[in-house]
Order: sequence, then C-alpha cells, then structure tokens
Amino acid sequence: MPDKKKKILLVDDSKTVLMMEQMILNKAAYELVIANDGRQAIAKANDEHPDLILMDVMMPEMGGFEACAHLRSVEATRGIPIIMVTTRGEAESIEKGYASGCSDYITKPINGMELLSKLKNYLGE
Amino acid sequence: MKKPHDGNDASYVQKVSQETNRYVRDLLADNERVRSVAAALEAEVAVLRREVDAARSAMERRAQDEARMRRQLASLEHEGGRLSERYLEVEEQNANLANLYVASYRLHGTLDRDDVLEAIREIVANLVGSEQLAIYSTRPDGGALELATSIGVVPEPPATIAIGHGLIGASARDGKTYLFEPSGDPDRLPHERDLTACVVLKLDGVVTGVLAIFRLLPQKSSFGALDRELFDLLATHAATALFCTELAGTAVAQRSARG
Repeated sequence: MPDKKKKILLVDDSKTVLMMEQMILNKAAYELVIANDGRQAIAKANDEHPDLILMDVMMPEMGGFEACAHLRSVEATRGIPIIMVTTRGEAESIEKGYASGCSDYITKPINGMELLSKLKNYLGE
Repeated sequence: MKKPHDGNDASYVQKVSQETNRYVRDLLADNERVRSVAAALEAEVAVLRREVDAARSAMERRAQDEARMRRQLASLEHEGGRLSERYLEVEEQNANLANLYVASYRLHGTLDRDDVLEAIREIVANLVGSEQLAIYSTRPDGGALELATSIGVVPEPPATIAIGHGLIGASARDGKTYLFEPSGDPDRLPHERDLTACVVLKLDGVVTGVLAIFRLLPQKSSFGALDRELFDLLATHAATALFCTELAGTAVAQRSARG
C-alpha cells in the first residue's frame, strides 16, 4: 500500500509566492492546502491537520508570528512543525520567529532546494 | 703377562658380540624410522610449500582484484559525484524555469494595471529580493520618464526624470539594463544612492519605461544569473503587460462611449 501523501499548509498573501511554492512542492508529491493570512491558517490547521505549515511573516489580517503563537497555544496544533518564510534575514527577525514558537525559517527569495531540504527534515523523510 | 682365554672369556665375548649386534640392529631400525619420518616430513614440507605457493598466488590475485575494484569504486565515486553535480544543476535550472514561468504567468494573468504593478512588485520582492522599487513610464513625447508607482523607497523618487539624466535617465536613453553596486558615490544623484538595477522596459525595441530597483534584502548580497534572466523577462513581459492594460482600458472606454 502506497504511503499517504504528507499534507502541507501554505500560508501567504502573495500569489507569486504561493505559485512558486506550489511549483516546488507539487513536484515532490505533497498534498497542499492554501491559506492567505494568519486567521485562515489557524482555521485550516484545525480542519486539515497538516503535517507541516509553511507560513509568511508579513500578512494582512493576522501576521505569521501571531498565527504561529496561537497555533502553539492550542493542543491540537501545538506539535505541527512551522517554517516561517521571512523577507528579513536579520537576527532580530529570526529571534522573534523562534520566540513565537516556529520550528525553523527560510528567507526570500525562496531557494527551492533549501526549502525541500528543510521540509524533508521536519517530515522525517 | 697376558691372561689365557678360558671358557668364561669365550662366553663373555659371545655375549658382547650378541649385544653389539642387537645394538647395531636397533640403531639400524631407529635409523630407518628416522629416515621414514624425514621422508614423511619432506613430503609434508613439499605439500605445505605447494599450499604456500597457491596461497601466495591467490593473495596476489586478490590484491589485483582489490586494486581493480578500488579503481572501479573510484571511477564510480567520480561518476556519482559528477551525476550529483549534474542533478543539482538540473534542479537549479528547474527552479529558475519555475521562477520565470511564475513571473510570466503573474504578469499576463490580468488586464488590470494595478494588478500588473502589484505583480511586478511581488516578482521583485519575492523572486529577485528587493522591497524598494520604482516604475517609470516614458512620457508620450519621449522626452522624460514619469513615475508610475514606487514601493518602499524613502524619500519617494522624483516624479519626473529627463531622459539621459542620472543613472535612471541614462538607462532609458541607452535602452540598456544596468546593474550597480550600492554606493556612497557623491557623483550619484541623491535618490540614486541605493540604486542596484535599472531594467529598461521595451516594446518592439521602443523604451516604454524603466524599472528601478534600489536596496536589496539584507540576505541578498548581489544579483545572480537568474536575476539577469528575470530582468530580461521583465524588460519585455512587464512592458507588454502594462501596454495590454492600456489597450484594455481604451477598449473598455470605447465600448462605454458606444453605449
């Protein structure tokens, strides 16, 4: 019996980024779920139970750090690995991400190989 | 004086003679046994020598086999390394093509001018790596560039730039995309200090505008090969996409006028 596809929740308000991420991850045969801001991310994380969340930092409605902190405060979503996609690679931004409870981060522009490598690591592949 | 032989003497001599004979026979028998053992040992030595020779030959063959296998292994490792490098190259090419596809798709996915400008901003921010840009359009008379939009540039760049004035104007005049190192060069115009790229937008060889990119994201030190390809794509596709929005706007206005 083939392995069940791993489910990844992509969270970004940019169509360009979402399309880019989908192109990279579709090739690796993941099941993808999309959300466009932090609130949608929380709702979809509860409904879809993804294996991993890839989330932008700067978004309307609710940003990535706030959504991440919320997901960590709820039992059902506490254990989901969250990788933040940040525009800023400075130490301050990274520290803020870890403080919110994210597992890891990648910086823009997204490097496909780096993204896949981190995902595989957190998905135990 | 010599003692005469008597019967006892004869018996003694005979006894000595018999013992001597037995001793000699025993010696001969022992000698025969030793000779037999020596012969057996020699035969065993010969066997062992042949076995040693065979083992030595086998070792030499194995050493040769090992050397051959080591050469094959080294060759396979080299081939594996070459294939890994090739795989990375192909993956990078795939990623680059994906970037170009996404950029092209986003530019041509709408006929709304604001959406095209947003697509250009997203491409520059997310695929190139800068959150500071300005888009200039060439004025209909061709004498100057007019600011269409700017994002993240503080203070806002000039609303109008004469063709040939400064780096942005020069780029429009020459019809060439220029890449720069950010510089504190006092000869640069104040609004061009952080300028890193001027991408000339062209339609059928005519300069329709300039995309000015300023400071790059902190984690991005310089432009790479993919950025140059994205600039080539933006040069034609962004110009076409913006032109299409004008055509669409004109068509909508004409339809409205006709009632």
